[in-house]
Amino acid sequence: MESLLAALMVIGIKILVILLIVLGIGAYLTLVERKVAAHIQRRPGPMVVGWHGLLQPLADGLKLLTKEDLFPRYGNKLLYNLAIVMALVPASLVFALVPFGPEFEVLGIKVKPILTDVNVGLLLFFALGSLAVYAIALAGWASNSKYALIGSMRKAGIVISYEVVITFALMGPIILAQTLSTYGIVQQQIEQKLWYLWLQPIAFVVYMFAMLAETGRVPFDIQEAEAELVTGFTVEYGGMKFGLFPLVEWYVETLSLSAIAVVVFLGGWSPINIPFLGFIDPLFFLGPLSPFVWFVLKVSLLFLFVLWLHWTLPRYRIDQITSTAWKVMLPLTLVNLVFTAIIAPIVWR
Amino acid sequence: MPWAKEEDFLELKKRFPDLQVEVKPTITNLHISKDNLIELLKNLKELGFKLFVDHSVIDFPDKKPRFQAFYILYNVDERKRVVVKTWTDGTLPSIEKLWFAGKWAERECYDMFGIHYEGHENLVRAFMWETYQYHPLRKDFPLEGYANVDLPSLNEVLYGDKLTGTMNYNRMHTAVPTLEDLEITEKKRLKKKAQIVLNWGPLHPGTHGTMWFLFDLEGERVVQCDVILGQLHRGVEKLAENQMYNQFLVYTDRMDYISALCSNQAWVVAVERLLGIEDLVPEKAKYIRTMMSELQRINSHLLWLGTYALDLGALTIFLYAFKEREKLMDIIEGITGARLTISYPRVGGVRMDLPEGALEVIKAFIKRFPKELKDWENILTRNRIWLRRNVDVGIISKEDVYFYGLTGPVARGSGVVYDIRKLEPYDAYPHVDFDVPVGEKGDVYDRYLVRLEEMRQSVRIIEQCVAVLEKMPSSAPYFAESPDPKKIKLSIDGIGLKVPEGETYSSGENPRGELGFFIYSTGGVKPYRVKIKPGSMYNLCIYPKLMQDRVIADAVAILASLDPVVGEIDR
Repeated sequence: MESLLAALMVIGIKILVILLIVLGIGAYLTLVERKVAAHIQRRPGPMVVGWHGLLQPLADGLKLLTKEDLFPRYGNKLLYNLAIVMALVPASLVFALVPFGPEFEVLGIKVKPILTDVNVGLLLFFALGSLAVYAIALAGWASNSKYALIGSMRKAGIVISYEVVITFALMGPIILAQTLSTYGIVQQQIEQKLWYLWLQPIAFVVYMFAMLAETGRVPFDIQEAEAELVTGFTVEYGGMKFGLFPLVEWYVETLSLSAIAVVVFLGGWSPINIPFLGFIDPLFFLGPLSPFVWFVLKVSLLFLFVLWLHWTLPRYRIDQITSTAWKVMLPLTLVNLVFTAIIAPIVWR
Repeated sequence: MPWAKEEDFLELKKRFPDLQVEVKPTITNLHISKDNLIELLKNLKELGFKLFVDHSVIDFPDKKPRFQAFYILYNVDERKRVVVKTWTDGTLPSIEKLWFAGKWAERECYDMFGIHYEGHENLVRAFMWETYQYHPLRKDFPLEGYANVDLPSLNEVLYGDKLTGTMNYNRMHTAVPTLEDLEITEKKRLKKKAQIVLNWGPLHPGTHGTMWFLFDLEGERVVQCDVILGQLHRGVEKLAENQMYNQFLVYTDRMDYISALCSNQAWVVAVERLLGIEDLVPEKAKYIRTMMSELQRINSHLLWLGTYALDLGALTIFLYAFKEREKLMDIIEGITGARLTISYPRVGGVRMDLPEGALEVIKAFIKRFPKELKDWENILTRNRIWLRRNVDVGIISKEDVYFYGLTGPVARGSGVVYDIRKLEPYDAYPHVDFDVPVGEKGDVYDRYLVRLEEMRQSVRIIEQCVAVLEKMPSSAPYFAESPDPKKIKLSIDGIGLKVPEGETYSSGENPRGELGFFIYSTGGVKPYRVKIKPGSMYNLCIYPKLMQDRVIADAVAILASLDPVVGEIDR
């Protein structure tokens, strides 16, 4: 009985921590993005609200919350609101599968810093990723606007093509790790003394592409396309309802997909890896905190990489994106899969 | 000025007995009867006068027949221009088979003068809405319009509050279009063929102004497309007939508001040519004008580059370009006192001398600018995404350039060497050295490269102008002195400037294409008729053709590469 209570408490704390991280950091990433973008564009960015604009996300949130709630005439109210829920929930749920560090012990209770270490973790991740398309399709349909409809159709086309690509790209690491559990994959990498990035560079690049496409980042931000579609499927949303879509797409999803990339390709919380030999940890002085710092560091680097691309590149056209997915990326991942199957026994030993 | 000579038409004179060739120093007219008009134009086209420049009508209410129609044509290879004139009482044959651009010019004449064109495919109004009853450019239409619609104030409608005293104003108003009117206008333009008609505009960030596009969409593919103009129509040509020559200068600012100095220059050069005082303008004024309009050209191309990159998703380039543009704006403001609507040149010179230190600032700018340009090119020009979005999109062939009457960078992007600065040099352009970049294929990417190279050439021109101006003493005159003040009264405010009877067509090379002014003067302080040849409008007329079977994402790329500005299209 007592152990059940403890387990429940641990889960409760985990949920609280993860939600705080996801939503709190998600909101503050807007400031990071604006600052990074500003410095890429040779300007200071937000400077007025707080020291170097530190309170800007709060001000933005307050502004969005106090805006009038507009609803398009002849729209479908149920679907209109459901779309927001459908966007937020699957994107946040992905964090249930992200292991933030190795198992540790507090007050005699063993804690794994992962919400649910299910043995079909990556399968669940694919499923949640595919759910994102419903939010967008619903938002486009319920808004009763041609712009929103076209934007959502574009996004649906992309998500469907890149879901397939992402699945096949992750197949290689799954073969090498022989497990679908995210926690297990990291442990496998540590035991095999190998980041899967070294053996799966193609899969990693393809995964990064697919991640940009799924999160609607430049060069794949055609569903937004300020120029031709204004803001695509969010055009009829206002206030915080509008604010949630970019928050989910640009920050929560990017963050969760980066985290999965770190887990699968970059050895999760492990320090710098020399293939088959071992790990070097320049952050050893942090003691038991070092794995967590490594994890956060890797995720932030990936996130900054995405930002860097976003603020320098132009955008593709819809037909170019989907044809790249089916004609280039998918064959590449298939070749990679065959290659992995051949070399896998060397890794297993 | 390169007007065609009488001997060019000896052959034609034999074929058309009623053809009269009238050669004046400012213009060459071919007079022909209405019945032989199409045949003559066809012959002229075969003779090499391939480029359609402009067509419109002059209204003489007292004469019979009432309207004089003119067609301006240009022979690019031999650098000759000619005007074909005919008289009509309300109907003309349509030239849409010869030049597509004529179709748009005819729509405008139908709108403004009520001329009916026989054989026109879809004769709809160009600027006014379909249910508008009047023809505003006719001489009997009053300048202030007919106030015949009752428009009460909001206070009156909501509270029954009839304001009196100074707040009391006339409730009668000129007609404004209602929603039904706009719907009729839309229906007349485009018959739906595919799945949905997307209203792209009038207020849309991608249209670069208040243009109203109709896309008939099959999924994302555009089956057919049309444009509804007139949201920014202010009747500049009507205003011109009621203003003195120097007063009209401020309206040229407000046409192509992004390159005001170039439009100013084109107008004052046109008036100077009509007066025959082009040689009297002092060297200094000529160099200042040239230098300033090249600065304006860079300014305008920077705005184009920024918005173009923005349309294709590269926001950073937009901010880079605007940063440089801001410096240019500051320079222009320091010299002329204004940033957007400048009115700096005057008939006979410029308004004031360059301030002290202006040349140093300009020199510092042009020293730094090519480096910036190179940085941006590093980001864009060989970028694979940029190439995939631009190469082979919106291809314009050489023949299309003539058929659609395209000018400016759009024509040069297709390999037609049509640059007024070279073909009919004005101001200091004959004395400066520069190259005219041309494209090969005529796609969006070529037009992009042409404009970038034009900025570099502008820097070259500015360098030479600065070198010349530095040597000039500061006491050198910047305004012309009239040889005979009784005949031609030249002053900076331009009051009392009388222009003798005559007509001319003169054009300048604007950043967006040729901006031409056809001025018909019957003597006096005001022109009788001014027809503006808007480069942007004829550049836009190829847009529906380019958009056929392309996706919406290309709409922004193609539109931005044509670079129209609504102020000039609608006038």
